[in-house]
Amino acid sequence: MSDTSNLDLNLLGNMQNFVQQAINRGRRSVELATAPPQPVGLTPKDVLYSRGTLRLYHYHPIADEVYRTPVLLVMATTNKAFVFDLAPGQSMVEYLLRKGFDVYVIDWEPPSQEERGLTLADYTQDFIPTCVDRVLADSGEPDVSLIGYCMGGILSMIYAATHTEGPLRNLVCLTTPLNMHGMGLTQVWNDPRYFDVDKLVDTLGVVPADTVTQMFEMQRPAQRVAGQLRLWDQMFDDEFVKSYRAFQRWGDETLPLAGEYMRETTKELSWGNKLYTEELVVAGREAKVSKITVPLLSIVAEHDHLAPRDSTHEILDKVGSTDKKEILLKGGHVSLIAGPNAVRRMWPQLDAWLSERST
Amino acid sequence: MFQDWVTQWERTFDNVANQLMGTEGFSQAMNEFQKAQLNAQRMFAENMTQVLTNMNLPTREDILRLSEAVQGLDRRLERIEEQMGGGGTGPSKASRPPRTRQPANKPDASDSGGAA
Repeated sequence: MSDTSNLDLNLLGNMQNFVQQAINRGRRSVELATAPPQPVGLTPKDVLYSRGTLRLYHYHPIADEVYRTPVLLVMATTNKAFVFDLAPGQSMVEYLLRKGFDVYVIDWEPPSQEERGLTLADYTQDFIPTCVDRVLADSGEPDVSLIGYCMGGILSMIYAATHTEGPLRNLVCLTTPLNMHGMGLTQVWNDPRYFDVDKLVDTLGVVPADTVTQMFEMQRPAQRVAGQLRLWDQMFDDEFVKSYRAFQRWGDETLPLAGEYMRETTKELSWGNKLYTEELVVAGREAKVSKITVPLLSIVAEHDHLAPRDSTHEILDKVGSTDKKEILLKGGHVSLIAGPNAVRRMWPQLDAWLSERST
Repeated sequence: MFQDWVTQWERTFDNVANQLMGTEGFSQAMNEFQKAQLNAQRMFAENMTQVLTNMNLPTREDILRLSEAVQGLDRRLERIEEQMGGGGTGPSKASRPPRTRQPANKPDASDSGGAA
């Protein structure tokens, strides 16, 4: 008899816990749904230069003594650069500052309809060189290291290949594809027989952010739902929630693309694969990656679905640098540069390689 | 345990979906759908432009032209501000740390020319 009573009491207790937990989760869900956007990009900085879609930031140094050569990070044209500076303790910029680097970042705002005619030449022969000049003038140094992420890495490579006389000191490519015929699903969906890029660009002028987001999300269709399930499970872990919301904000704030730039990257880089075959000509300049001779580091991720291994593994073979290295790390396209894995794996390796070449 | 299940489900779902979507047929269908969407969008835009013109209201093109003019003025102002010495609010160059830092360890010979 008393055993039965104990069982009943246990069952009642469990049910009470379950209901209480469900109420708490519901309350927390409402809190999160109505909360303001997660603050990101909090490391103090100045806007050194801005023009249209282009922003150049200089971050306030933290260390008492910095390396001689400044570093300029080049963000991919599809995303905001705050992924480099997600949150204190999860910020690549903050990490580099603490390690003694003088950090500058190229960020992008959504291109306006007026900027729909921007091309690869604008990005690689105007925006990056202008920013490099600004960095040199601001730092008072004769050279600079470039760190490009994804498409920012491609733009940096084109810049490096067309400015072989300097003032580039080192080039770091993060998850940067070179062989576009190894791009997996993207290549299948961009099939020139079916994908009418002219119609897309002529109709829209600027390719909307939704279209770009759709291309990314279709490659990992379960990612958003899985993320929400993880959030539901770890709803009371404040650190997890903070990180989740910062990444979600980054994903949600994908940028539109200037139409002509989209047309040119599709035809020249994706279909023609001309950076890989060394046939690319930008503003009358040959962009041969074999002409890149500065020290080069390529950091790639094992499970990168946006820049798969087939598209990244030949960078070292193609460039003309003698001092070159590839680091293959566990992780994906985004977790390589931000989040707990990046803190442990990528950032220390980047610091170790770059610090030796920044004095 | 739940996290492992979610990860496993995500992988399985993505793998199956990628196999389905990684075919020529899917690419063709997806791009045909996009073309149809663009056609509809273009037709709607043309009709709307006609309606707005008939009602003597500014069209999107008119607004864009205005926006371009304002942005042009903005750029001129920026250039003037720059010439007048306007700038950031960060630490002045004099108060910045010296650029004399040296790495903790000497370069590792294995750093050059290697591949992971």
